[in-house]
Amino acid sequence: MKAKKAEEIKKFVRERYAEIARQQTSSCCAPQSKEASSCCSSRTSEESRAHRLYSKEELESISANIPSLGCGNPTALSELKENEVVLDLGSGAGLDSILAAQKVGPGGRVFGLDMTPDMIRLARTNAKDLALDNVEFRLGEMEHMPIESSSVDVAISNCVINLSPDKDAVFGEVFRVLKPGGRLSVSDIVTYGELPAEIRGNLAQWAGCVAGALDEKKYLEKIRAAGFVQVELKEEGPHPYQEKTACGVQTGNQIASVTVTAYKPK
Amino acid sequence: MKKDLMEILACPLCKGPLELSIEEEDEKEVIKGSLRCNKCSVSYPIEDSIPNLLPPELHS
Repeated sequence: MKAKKAEEIKKFVRERYAEIARQQTSSCCAPQSKEASSCCSSRTSEESRAHRLYSKEELESISANIPSLGCGNPTALSELKENEVVLDLGSGAGLDSILAAQKVGPGGRVFGLDMTPDMIRLARTNAKDLALDNVEFRLGEMEHMPIESSSVDVAISNCVINLSPDKDAVFGEVFRVLKPGGRLSVSDIVTYGELPAEIRGNLAQWAGCVAGALDEKKYLEKIRAAGFVQVELKEEGPHPYQEKTACGVQTGNQIASVTVTAYKPK
Repeated sequence: MKKDLMEILACPLCKGPLELSIEEEDEKEVIKGSLRCNKCSVSYPIEDSIPNLLPPELHS
């Protein structure tokens, strides 16, 4: 992808998510889109999404109403252990980082990385409300992680990598920062086949986790190309795009929410 | 930025070490200051306790 287009995408995504953080809404789609059966749905369906993705115990443990813009539950998937160092890519309002912080305990560390200042502020407030000392949020890009090499046990991410215009850089950076034997647990959106060019080129659809989604095979190829082994993908269903639309766009059965686990060789 | 969570930070460009300068702090956090990469000659600001480690062209 051309550098100018990539920067344009990042800028649009950053502005869109800043707006979401300020309004504390749960929609990742452009405001003009009112499609009810997608991630564009209103706050009323947010509760049911959180309840679908997270266990009752998890949601009760945070007691705060932290919105999720995700499509999975990567902390559950990653089977976090006490004292592990976790990196959350695209930490948003902080929900997954906070759940991870509770799982790794006082001896563990969780670093949330997000490129949107408003999201970092929101996540900090949410973590502070829970008096968690082992989680820290940093403003940075997942294509240029401000993280030492071989320093992280587990990288998690919830429906964010699809937003990046340079996924090779993201997976390369994840591989670099993981310790040997470290693991990646990601929830994300993939497509089956190429999306039509008019969707692919639409910035609002990019911010809505549609246009940037890669074909499943390409997505896995990129993870393997970064050096990961034991790469496994599991389809979790059409979520967050129920039915056949996403952000108001007809996508047929082309889009799915998946979870992927992969390891850096020891 | 919590002082005891300084570990694993690196320059987003060269991945080298960062040097912390504190202008304002409380018991736990650095409220204002900077993280400098001497190799790249770039300072990453810390404002309102948030370290801004975006690549320099995105600092605005």
